[in-house]
Amino acid sequence: MREVFVTKKNRLVLELLSLALACAPLVIPTTASAIPAFSRQHKTECSTCHTIYPELNEFGDAFLKNGYVYPRAHAAGKTAKVERQGQERTEGLWLSGLPEQLPISFTATMDAAYNNDAADSLDLSTRSLRLHAGGAFREKAGFFATYNLYAQGAQSGTSQTPGNVQPNINELFFVLRQALDTPVTLRVGRFEPKTSLWKKSNRVILVPSYASTTYNLGAGSSQFSLDTPQDALEANGFLTKRVYVAAGVVDRNGQDNKDGYGHISVKIGGTDFMGNEPEVDLEHDSVWDFLSLTLGGFGYAGRDANITLSGVAQNPNDFYRAGGEFDLLYKRFHLKGSGVFGRDKNPAFSATPVVELLTHAYAFEGEYMFGVPVNMIALLRYEYQENAQGGTRRYIPAISYTPIQNTKLSLEYIYTDGPAAIDRITLGSLAFSF
Amino acid sequence: MKKLLLPLFVLIISATSAHAGLKVIGKGDAMRLDTGAFPPAMKANYEILRTKCVKCHTLERTIVAIQTGVAPISGQPFDRSATKAYGVKMLRKPDSNMTKPEVKASVDLMNYLLAESER
Repeated sequence: MREVFVTKKNRLVLELLSLALACAPLVIPTTASAIPAFSRQHKTECSTCHTIYPELNEFGDAFLKNGYVYPRAHAAGKTAKVERQGQERTEGLWLSGLPEQLPISFTATMDAAYNNDAADSLDLSTRSLRLHAGGAFREKAGFFATYNLYAQGAQSGTSQTPGNVQPNINELFFVLRQALDTPVTLRVGRFEPKTSLWKKSNRVILVPSYASTTYNLGAGSSQFSLDTPQDALEANGFLTKRVYVAAGVVDRNGQDNKDGYGHISVKIGGTDFMGNEPEVDLEHDSVWDFLSLTLGGFGYAGRDANITLSGVAQNPNDFYRAGGEFDLLYKRFHLKGSGVFGRDKNPAFSATPVVELLTHAYAFEGEYMFGVPVNMIALLRYEYQENAQGGTRRYIPAISYTPIQNTKLSLEYIYTDGPAAIDRITLGSLAFSF
Repeated sequence: MKKLLLPLFVLIISATSAHAGLKVIGKGDAMRLDTGAFPPAMKANYEILRTKCVKCHTLERTIVAIQTGVAPISGQPFDRSATKAYGVKMLRKPDSNMTKPEVKASVDLMNYLLAESER
């Protein structure tokens, strides 16, 4: 009788184990900027992953590439066991894959813009409120979402305050880490395709950089830019601890053609992509104690078009973008460089395309982090883009300061020398996340 | 049954004395170590740890990691290889404001404390 009981019990355990193993590949996460929801989940400070948010430090980049899972979390069986001791978890929630806390957070910004040439030279009314959500499901799967709750719209008529731009989902995607027990991580949903070394938000200041991501062909033409969240399926993973690759397809409405893209990055020195610290001799000095260089390359080829009211793409434009980047870190200095060029066969979506357009953009941004006595970064960016409108140079000196880690004050001077005019804008910004 | 009880008794005894070597003062953010029994070199190292590490986190985090052998945030084992890795991480963190000699002093102290806590 006892033997029968044991046999049934063992069978039940085996069945549960088989079920768990079968379901394991169905349940993981990947990339996006870190948010307070992660701080709450891991009970750690913002500076674990950020220099001055939202810019990521080396560990933050590793956390991102590991799909919002603490790097080295499952290095060994012993590690996994200790981890469960270290983190107080509600077993039922953990078994269900549910985060302990609702993984939602917000970021608010309030800006003051001064433009001597504008009709309203000092504008205090620009502000935004964005919802972030993201988390890992038992370190197997996860998700990330950003939802624009408020962005200032146009003010007209007798209205006393500007309206709200229509709220919308900016990003919403699901991530499956190490899908089917392979080293490949899958990402599906609406997201920024992994092409550049840095996500658009991975910057100290608000103004997105022309290269490699935000430049487009200008008004009246194809509005494609690499940083636009798109409906896509991506596979990414580590070839080695210092080589990371990603490739994906993008689905566009109104046409059968799919866009395709690929990315590779290689890191020399510093913390590797999986979050392992480099070997440093604490007795002797070496330049590699502090130096790291990351090189990146990418390509994107696709077709966009003018979408008619009936939802059909017409007068398509076949295009590609290709670029290279570097990220150099030495102590408190941080230098970023990007270059991208592209070709568009029908940039104006003309029924009878006649002009093929070649464009390019590049950007360099140098940062110095003071850290002490104040958490402040000073930076200078120079960038250039050549598009259908002509060439535009932009110079941006800026400082950014965090009195506490979730609150940031920035002051930027944006000098834009464009084909039509020169703009000089001073932008003060207060941002806080919670 | 006796075969089971004896190892269990030994385990309980060893568990209760696991970090008898560390004298902790205060709780939470105010948690400190009593350095009265520290060798002079470790007292000097403790001053570095006490002033530098608290720029970003409390001493409680470090003390709990040493007492439990588990890093409280990551849940990873906190052993001698971990102290060096954390030291290197802080050395490379641009806003940590720690020099290499200060990092070495902190790592040496944490290794000393780990050894003391295992007594």
